[in-house]
Amino acid sequence: MTEAEQSCALDALCSAAQLMLENGAETYRVEETARRMATGFRLTGVSVAALPTLIFVEAEGKTRILRISRRGTNMTRIERTNDISRRVEHGGMTAQEAGRALEQVARAPGAPQRTLLLASAVTSASFSLLFGGGPGTFAVAFLIGLAVQAVQPLFARIEMGVLFGNFAGGFITAVLAQLLAALFAYGDVNAAIVGGIMPLLSGLLMTTAMRDTMYGDLISGVTRAVEALLLAGAVALGVYVGLTVVSMMGGVLL
Amino acid sequence: MIRELLVGAAGAFGGTIGLACLLNAPRRTLLPSSLIGVLGYVLYLLLSRGMGQSLIFSYFLSTVVIAVICEIAARVMRTPTTIFLLSALVPLVPGYSFYRAMLALVEDQGAAAAAYGLQAVQIVGAIAVGAAVTSVVFRALGMRRGSITPRSRFNPREAK
Repeated sequence: MTEAEQSCALDALCSAAQLMLENGAETYRVEETARRMATGFRLTGVSVAALPTLIFVEAEGKTRILRISRRGTNMTRIERTNDISRRVEHGGMTAQEAGRALEQVARAPGAPQRTLLLASAVTSASFSLLFGGGPGTFAVAFLIGLAVQAVQPLFARIEMGVLFGNFAGGFITAVLAQLLAALFAYGDVNAAIVGGIMPLLSGLLMTTAMRDTMYGDLISGVTRAVEALLLAGAVALGVYVGLTVVSMMGGVLL
Repeated sequence: MIRELLVGAAGAFGGTIGLACLLNAPRRTLLPSSLIGVLGYVLYLLLSRGMGQSLIFSYFLSTVVIAVICEIAARVMRTPTTIFLLSALVPLVPGYSFYRAMLALVEDQGAAAAAYGLQAVQIVGAIAVGAAVTSVVFRALGMRRGSITPRSRFNPREAK
């Protein structure tokens, strides 16, 4: 293999690992993907290490270090990258082909905002049912879900913007649910609020953190657990501020 | 009870499929993961309300069942397990305890806030342990069959 070919293979390997990590794959899966592709490209002397914010790859005496600054969850990208890595492993793809395919995956846009709006509204409304909400609460939770997702793009460009997005989400949920309840009796205020914050709290399950820990990636596991707690804390703070603001205004307005 | 189960199933279905869309799950996995989510939530309802099992045990067992089905579904559909797991477990998120803790905090009822907060932590713990146990078991099975490549350790023969 020539120097240029090796370099090209290493590039493809790195972009696969980067795509995986940026879109919420577990750390062991990131490393496994890189290793699998290295086998497919017949690279030797390979070692790979990944952390939630960093990737180190070494092969054929060359070292690459990548800093990951943007993180989110996009399962479609994980699945497609996983697919490409398996094809490479079985020799079905050259380094150049893989590189191009990965670039396509990276460039493919996520779901459009109107789909996300609908998804968020449906999620909030459905979950309000689980907590004893009736038809009125369902409708209010639907509106809250729309409002919470509508503000999320404002925070997308900021580093750690999810944190602010979650705070804003919790705040909007608490305020909207209570203001609407003051205007007309739609049903259970608590169910509407819990429905509204459920999509934001999904990270609280820490499944990725747990899986990382169980696979021996202790640093990743702890980092992700802390991140999940931080995000849930932002929601809690948002709800807290929302409840307090309304109860303060309540004396004046209502 | 029947009505509660039906409403719960409908809510869990809508919630899981909506969340899967929010996480950009591949289209072909949407329906399977929401069905798993419904199954898990109905099982939880049956265990905790129907059979009067303790809250923690109900959460734990439902999580294990969900995680096992997710692992199997992932192998059948040849896709990472996380894709199913992240959305299917969401109906079990202790949002209600979490919110009640916040509410009690705002109303300056420290004891209630601590009780609800602790409940939320216990539930999250039960779910985390349930998911982890399943993951470990499946990994051990996979290693034995050699379908998962073991991680490369430093190999002195390679390094020379």
